[in-house]
Amino acid sequence: MTRFLIRRLLLSIPVLIGIVFVVFALARIIPGDPCVAALGERANPKTCAVYAAAHGLDKAIIPGFFRVEGKIELRAAEIPATLTDNQFVQYVGSVVKGDFGVSSKFGLPVTDLLLQRLPATVELALYALLFAIVVGIPLGIISAYRRNSIVDVGTMMFANLGVSTPVFVLGLVLAYLFAVTFKDTPLALPPSGRLAAGVAVIPLAKVWGLEGLGGPLRLIIDFLSNIYTFNAIVTFNLSLLADTVKHMILPALALGTIPLAIIARMTRSSLLDELGLDYIRTARAKGLRDRTVVMRHGFRNALLPVVTVIGLALGGLFGGAVLTETVFNLAGVGRAVTEAIASRDYAVIQGFTLVIAIGFVIVNLIVDISYAYLDPRVRLA
Amino acid sequence: MSRSPRWSPLLALCATAVLVFTACGTAASPSPGASAAGSQAASQPPTSVAPYDGLVYPEDGSSACGTEGYSGQVGSIKAIDAKTVEFSLCAPDAAFLSKIAFTSLAIQDSDFLAETGGGGEALFRNPNGTGPYKMKAWTTGTEISLETFADYWGDKPLTPNAVVRWSPEAAQRLVELTSGNVDGIDNPGPDDFKTIEANPDFKLYPRTAMNIFYVGFNNVFKPFDNEKVRQAIAMGIDRKRIVDNFYPPGSEVASYFTPCDIAGGCGGDEWYPFDAAAAKALLTEAGFPDGFTTKLHLRDVVRGYLPSPVTVAQDIQAQLKTNLNITAEIDVQDATTYLATASRGELQGIHLLGWGADYPDVTNFLDVHFGVGASEQFGKKFDDITQPLVEGAKTADPAARAELYKAANNAIKQHVPMIPIAHGGSATVFKADVAGGHSSPLGNEALFAMKAGDRDTIIWLQNGEPGGLYCADETDGEALRVCEQFSESLYRYKVGGTDPEPSLATGCTPNDDSSLWTCALREGVTFHNGATFDANDVVTTYAVQWDAKHPLHKGREGLFDYWTYLFAGFLNPPPPAP
Amino acid sequence: MTATAPPIPEVVAGQLAGEGRTSLWRDTLGNILRQRNAVVGLTILTFFVLVAVFANQIAPHDPVAVLLGQEEGAKKLAPPCIHALGCPAAQPEHYFGIDQNVRDVFSRVVHGTRVSLQIGFLTVGFAIVIGTLIGALSGYAGGKADNILMRLMDVILAFPALLLAIAIVTVLGTTLLNAQLAIGIVAIPIYARIMRASVLSIKERDYITASQALGESGGGILFRRILPNALTPLIVQGTLGIAGAVIDVAALSFLGLGAQPPTAEWGSMIGQARNSMFAAPHLVIFPGVALALTVLAFNLLGDGLRDALDPRLNR
Repeated sequence: MTRFLIRRLLLSIPVLIGIVFVVFALARIIPGDPCVAALGERANPKTCAVYAAAHGLDKAIIPGFFRVEGKIELRAAEIPATLTDNQFVQYVGSVVKGDFGVSSKFGLPVTDLLLQRLPATVELALYALLFAIVVGIPLGIISAYRRNSIVDVGTMMFANLGVSTPVFVLGLVLAYLFAVTFKDTPLALPPSGRLAAGVAVIPLAKVWGLEGLGGPLRLIIDFLSNIYTFNAIVTFNLSLLADTVKHMILPALALGTIPLAIIARMTRSSLLDELGLDYIRTARAKGLRDRTVVMRHGFRNALLPVVTVIGLALGGLFGGAVLTETVFNLAGVGRAVTEAIASRDYAVIQGFTLVIAIGFVIVNLIVDISYAYLDPRVRLA
Repeated sequence: MSRSPRWSPLLALCATAVLVFTACGTAASPSPGASAAGSQAASQPPTSVAPYDGLVYPEDGSSACGTEGYSGQVGSIKAIDAKTVEFSLCAPDAAFLSKIAFTSLAIQDSDFLAETGGGGEALFRNPNGTGPYKMKAWTTGTEISLETFADYWGDKPLTPNAVVRWSPEAAQRLVELTSGNVDGIDNPGPDDFKTIEANPDFKLYPRTAMNIFYVGFNNVFKPFDNEKVRQAIAMGIDRKRIVDNFYPPGSEVASYFTPCDIAGGCGGDEWYPFDAAAAKALLTEAGFPDGFTTKLHLRDVVRGYLPSPVTVAQDIQAQLKTNLNITAEIDVQDATTYLATASRGELQGIHLLGWGADYPDVTNFLDVHFGVGASEQFGKKFDDITQPLVEGAKTADPAARAELYKAANNAIKQHVPMIPIAHGGSATVFKADVAGGHSSPLGNEALFAMKAGDRDTIIWLQNGEPGGLYCADETDGEALRVCEQFSESLYRYKVGGTDPEPSLATGCTPNDDSSLWTCALREGVTFHNGATFDANDVVTTYAVQWDAKHPLHKGREGLFDYWTYLFAGFLNPPPPAP
Repeated sequence: MTATAPPIPEVVAGQLAGEGRTSLWRDTLGNILRQRNAVVGLTILTFFVLVAVFANQIAPHDPVAVLLGQEEGAKKLAPPCIHALGCPAAQPEHYFGIDQNVRDVFSRVVHGTRVSLQIGFLTVGFAIVIGTLIGALSGYAGGKADNILMRLMDVILAFPALLLAIAIVTVLGTTLLNAQLAIGIVAIPIYARIMRASVLSIKERDYITASQALGESGGGILFRRILPNALTPLIVQGTLGIAGAVIDVAALSFLGLGAQPPTAEWGSMIGQARNSMFAAPHLVIFPGVALALTVLAFNLLGDGLRDALDPRLNR
């Protein structure tokens, strides 16, 4: 096990290095000029020169390569002079220090923006996942238990449709249903944003009197503080909790439907596999009640592939979050990155994708390790 | 300029000094407080009065006009005394009051500017000001909340709190309004105007159109080098159909490049009437009986002049095909590169673009696009367009000016560098119970002048989030509107209008040729940080923007774009780009 | 999916692979047709393929034709009007209503079928070809090349697919082809991994060694011996992949980064109608349902194929 762990960890190092490089390259080869993106009609070479200098964009990207009026240009003569003084060296240097620079669009450190945006996406993903698990697993069990019944066929039809409906279609339809059709009924739900206007969120650091605190602990506190559900629970702020939940329902439904369908199908098929095995037949022959057999014996063993699928679904959730956040006007990382790409906000593109990708690698690592832990055959492979 | 708690004794002294100097120095513009101040001053022994240390810019007292490399219009700015400021300009400027009313020239506390170093988060995310609201909190990505400023010199806001939120989609904004979550929204979708007007719960306030949407050609490229081709297309596009179907009510079919609301803007002959047969005939005459194939360039960016870019582009595409048999492939370009490509003259096909007024003057429309200094967007320039424009910019007499612009408009119609399509209207919508709801032609709706029923917070939903709120260095209307709520300039535009009226100045009076303006400042104004407003704040606020080498000339981006738009150039301008 | 078939021991599976072509295919077809999912998927798919092939005959209008001034009474954003269902005869008939540019939505949805099916097959085709080559090379060469290629695949997989695709499209320029290319690139690692795994699992088998001994070239072994073995998982994954590709390309078009107007592509139709959603929900619903059904067909077919072709993959 230890050897597997070490091997797996070592393998992620080149991947992480690759990610750092790809993120930088992707951000820089996008054509266009952040200055024009920021100023629109009013951009001109003079003001853009000032802008570029202020944001360090007049430096070489990599030795000898400069961006001039939105296009990349090679100035061979300047290669020696820019060997160390270029954007890539600066970027790698700051990444190593855990600093992602300053957003050119907002003028804020990318870390601050991450502390605002990442919790929104994490919260959305958790709600979606919760919905998917809490509804998906029981559906799968019932379906397996009453195999080929109407319930089973219906559930599986729903699951298949669920997997096939694009998030942006489902999101728009849900928004229309709950905000327009059910308007003025108890079912009415807000179709956009994280909170109703004017609902205040008090940072936990303030509540706990830790405003002077710095360092990584403060980052963690600020991060948790912006997961509004967590904040509301910790501070017993019921109105905040109610408002957060209300705003999360529709996006979570839209985003959670695909993983829900996947989880339901996986639960069903792996439970059916287990139920076909000898020991279940034995248990049944022993005269144990059907329900006990399914729940006690079958389900526990059928859980392994379900857990894996949940881990994999996390990845899909981040992709879907881009669309969900667009449809429901949520200020999360997905939308932040797409907006940053549109406004050529290099620091944000780099910082955010880097964090997302690293998060991805870690999630995959955990899934792999837990899988290996649960299934010894994987370790040997 | 100074904080009251620490400096109260000195402040009292200063105040006295202020009053004396106001009394002595305001022969030209008597202020209401002057006579009272005079009697007070008389009771003080003259020896105890410290002279007001008024700032002058440039600091050596010279005028910047005509110095090397300077192209600006401001000569010098002088704090004559604590409540009087004098602006000396390089040339007569009849529009001076309109300019100093602009949001980017909102007065900042000079100490606050110095403390923040003229830039950084402390300045553009926690801004200071003198306005009726003050900043409460800004949750990035979500909302900005404002609260009443208790020491405001004028009328308190009608609703104690204001919240600004944003959503880029018109449909989303409307849903937020209909579901009752917000009190007012900006720019409802063109298709929703009718539904809103029919709904008694809401009131729609149309916004006058001070913009132009046009179909442009670059006459360097074939076949647009042929004037007849351009004229044929001008006749072959049914502009009314576009405005009727894809623009909200309140929009107008454009006959001239400059909107008629701008003085002298729409003289000359009407645009070609739509006539598909004549257009086809002319195209045949030009040598294209079977039409031709080209591209239709645009960017998918919603602006007041073009509320639904892709839809309009598709209709123009269809019209070109049906009326002229021109096959135009739609080419939606990246928004960040489109304008640069256009002004470098690299768009070879037909391109869609527009322009919104910075300040209401013909030069802001015609000269920018067709003047001698205009970009390569339309290709080679036409002497009979550039000539009258050069003359017009120099001419002060309105009648003579109008004649020149008439000539320019007729030449534009002859050469068709572009086809004017529409002056796009937009609107704001408020709940019916919001008293004082309005829309502003300049896009700076005053939330403090609205009463949101019996609620204590007015919630406003606009298109986007501001980048920063130090509006000297912002160009985005979304930021400027928020600044308008908590900061004030020497003048302000009438609520819902464009006429300037006194604000932090009680009045500014010009000399005979309006090149020297003397402004009397308002008494008893404090900033949100507690500092008292005086003449040096005005000088510093202007100097920081004006002088590119000023130590506080930092801002968020360091561009101070609106300064150059209003007053043409910086002092100590940065060297031109390599 | 239905998990009715008991797991087939590996020996049997090996025999299956070694059997003659004709009977293998006949068996496979029989297996597929026994799968309820596959049959439903195949039926829907056949329907859509027919719609795509006969789009010109089915659609009453040109999908890009603007009806303004062409048809009496055609109104922007008009809801569906079907005369048989009581819509006044005076009003022009439009089964799915009229869009924001005064075009017939039904015709656009019908023609959109053609676009989406092409998108699905081309995108996945591209990903399979490149992925298979990389996977085969990686598995066959082993060593450093294998390591570098697989780490590269890991890097691609480390990004959320849609986000990476958005970035790639922005770099390449927004056209439908580039959107397909981006989605294709992002999908490469899956096929590369499948191919590599197949190569590794049979590289050392006796019959491969025998072929080598008999002097068969590396390429020959790859194409005649190894590829057929990897075919089953590739087909299954490919079918499911088409479903994903159709959704993802539609998502890019929805965000304005794919199909350019006036192309009748479902994702871009939905994206453009987003702002008219509340005034005219039919503009989102019809292309949305068509999109969901197409994806459903490929998903069902993929599941069915998986069950039919390789019960061991039924996880």
